[in-house]
Amino acid sequence: MSPTRKRINRLPFLQWLATETGLIVVWSLVWFTESRLAGYSAFVGGLIYVIPNAYFAHRMYRFEGARNAHLVVGNMFRAETVKLALTAVFFAAVFILMEPVHVPALLFTFAVMVVLSPLLRWFIRPKPQR
Amino acid sequence: MEMVFIAAALIIGLGALGAGIGFGLLGGKLLESTARQPELGNQLQTKAFIMAGLLDAVPMIGVGIAMYLIFVVAG
Repeated sequence: MSPTRKRINRLPFLQWLATETGLIVVWSLVWFTESRLAGYSAFVGGLIYVIPNAYFAHRMYRFEGARNAHLVVGNMFRAETVKLALTAVFFAAVFILMEPVHVPALLFTFAVMVVLSPLLRWFIRPKPQR
Repeated sequence: MEMVFIAAALIIGLGALGAGIGFGLLGGKLLESTARQPELGNQLQTKAFIMAGLLDAVPMIGVGIAMYLIFVVAG
């Protein structure tokens, strides 16, 4: 049985990206009150989460529907692997190339985004296309 | 210095182990429940997507801390 690529859900990709970027900007401004470096590091920490997560969301919703359930699960595993690898590469790149870096701001913003993002996905859910 | 690398390896390894078990269970249950009620496949996929975000929270933060240990503390 060949996989069907017909869209079932309307994915709010742009809404997710815009809200996450807005959250990062607000959080960076909070860190900016401490120092300019902290604000910049916080922004980079947020981006390290948002970019792999956007790839994950895109890959996870490549296939939809009960007929393609096996493809959905396979894509979810691959997307998660790539997401973790991308995160490791981005962190390594930041720690090697970005000098100086405010580590607490970077890691704390990353952790905040990791916790807030599933909540965001809960409130802005994909809706079935009518 | 070697202890830092061992700590980073433990953080990444145990995080990956937990994420692997969790994703295995999540994927298995998604397939099972979609096979039981195919008409709910759509909603189940969305819920699995949200749960995947919660599931990989700890390994993701672990990767960040491990990279910090490897490239800043030990480097």
